[in-house]
Amino acid sequence: MSSHDSSGETRRRALEIRRRIIDMAHRSGSAHVGSALSCADILAVLYFEVLRLRPWENRDYFVLSKGHAAMCLYAALDLSGILEPGQADSYFLNDGALPAHLDRFTGRGIEVSAGSLGHGFNVALGLAYGLKLRRSPQAVYALIGDGESQEGSIWEGAMFAPKLGLDNVTVFLDFNNLQGYGRATELCSFEPVADKWRAFGWHAVDVDGHDHEALCDAIAQRSGGRPKMIVARTVKGKGVSFMEDQLVWHYYVVTAELRARAMEELQ
Amino acid sequence: MRSSFIDAVIALSKERPEVFILSGDAGLGVFDQFQRTDPHRFLNMGVAEQNMAGFAAGLAMAGFRVVLYNIIPFVLYRCYEQVRNDICYQRLPVVLTGIGSGVTYAPAGMTHYSVEDLGICRTLPNLTVLSPIDPVEARAAAAFALQATAPVYVRLPKRGEPTFHTHGDIDITLPQVLQVGAEVALLFHGSVAEEVIAAVEALGAEGACPLVIALPLLQPLAEDALVPLLAEMRHVVTVEEHFVGCGLGSLIARLATRHHVGWRLHTLGIADGFIHEIQDCRHLRQRHGISAAGIAATVRRLLGTRAAARRKAV
Repeated sequence: MSSHDSSGETRRRALEIRRRIIDMAHRSGSAHVGSALSCADILAVLYFEVLRLRPWENRDYFVLSKGHAAMCLYAALDLSGILEPGQADSYFLNDGALPAHLDRFTGRGIEVSAGSLGHGFNVALGLAYGLKLRRSPQAVYALIGDGESQEGSIWEGAMFAPKLGLDNVTVFLDFNNLQGYGRATELCSFEPVADKWRAFGWHAVDVDGHDHEALCDAIAQRSGGRPKMIVARTVKGKGVSFMEDQLVWHYYVVTAELRARAMEELQ
Repeated sequence: MRSSFIDAVIALSKERPEVFILSGDAGLGVFDQFQRTDPHRFLNMGVAEQNMAGFAAGLAMAGFRVVLYNIIPFVLYRCYEQVRNDICYQRLPVVLTGIGSGVTYAPAGMTHYSVEDLGICRTLPNLTVLSPIDPVEARAAAAFALQATAPVYVRLPKRGEPTFHTHGDIDITLPQVLQVGAEVALLFHGSVAEEVIAAVEALGAEGACPLVIALPLLQPLAEDALVPLLAEMRHVVTVEEHFVGCGLGSLIARLATRHHVGWRLHTLGIADGFIHEIQDCRHLRQRHGISAAGIAATVRRLLGTRAAARRKAV
């Protein structure tokens, strides 16, 4: 148990986010459960320890750029009481309230429509610059994937943001090293990824993306006027042993039997 | 026309502190004064169009009225998906300002021509499309775009275009009747205006008087206003510096299928295909039948057909 979360409350919430992800994936028969489980700890820390959400009109923003991990965002928003009660229950179902990839008109707290990779990140930069121009204390957090990091738009934004002194931006790289059909580190010249961001002028930190205390420490670090990149080393499917670091859980569906097995582990 | 548009944006920005201009390393000299007076409301985003379009969406979410400026391929083509997902899907009021419409940059080469942009815009719901013919319409387009609550694309040529409207008080959302006439209507938009007007002047000298209508608002097309104007026509000729298959010509063809019209449609424009000829704008217009001479010849042929039919009936 980490010292900052002495009651274990955030850890319990991360567990509950994972349980809701499994439930949503099972009910809907949709894919990307491994991608959603991968970033559950980051979203638990953000929504229950970091984001300032009251008053809502002056809230901090979280932009999920890897929009295919939508179930994790829906679970965190549901657990935070930001979504309408029951809204997440009809995820990905006919006439349901929430789609598989993010549509900002479908629910409160879905800040940016995202699904195609390499979009939300750049929108987040523009949003952060706008808030800075308005001298707002609101902060912008964004989360990108390692597969997403192969998009050129990511590096266009990476090259531009430091010039603007966007120290109100914190970007997480959910580095689980498993994308749709392989490992990022094998598909391209991915590492040393934190050094790449440093070379572009970002304050980059390399942490265990499931260690809440490490995540909090990284978030709290002063960036010296620069935008911040937190390279979060994660495990795809984290929390469910038979999904962890398994390529197939980018697309596999959670059957009733697998749901039961997963829930046993997520106690 | 680009300066008329940007100057109008800058003039309106004096009362609108939320106006913010993004340039993609384009517009030499156009923003010099604004950069001096309002340095915190201008950014050169460099040669990074995807970032620029996404960034514009984010700035708009923060409450800014973003005017994004670049040549058309770098406004719509390179970053199509950012325009689609980040700006249009999210219905954010970004003003997409594209320069170099049609073949106005000829002989710069096909990479720098914009003869399919209207076709691309037709795939983008929520997007309003304006193609002004002269500085008066460009200024009206600026005023409209800064008031809009959804994205607007403004299609502009380059600079030095003449003025055709006789007064500045126009409603840019309506068809602009520049000459009342009979039998044949000429519909057009944007940079080919000087050819159309020269053709109309030549025809006038011969005693021919077609109806002449500019359509600065192409999306959504003001069908209810346009259809009655064409009611008495025998022929409608569309003229544009754009592929006819996905521009005004095809819009009017679609209109004709939805309404009971008594006229025949003739579409003039750039023929489908990549342009490899090294010719300036004037010569390319001639080659594609949208020079003043080409347009006048088409109208003469249609009026002649009518006259011949009359003679036959007698």
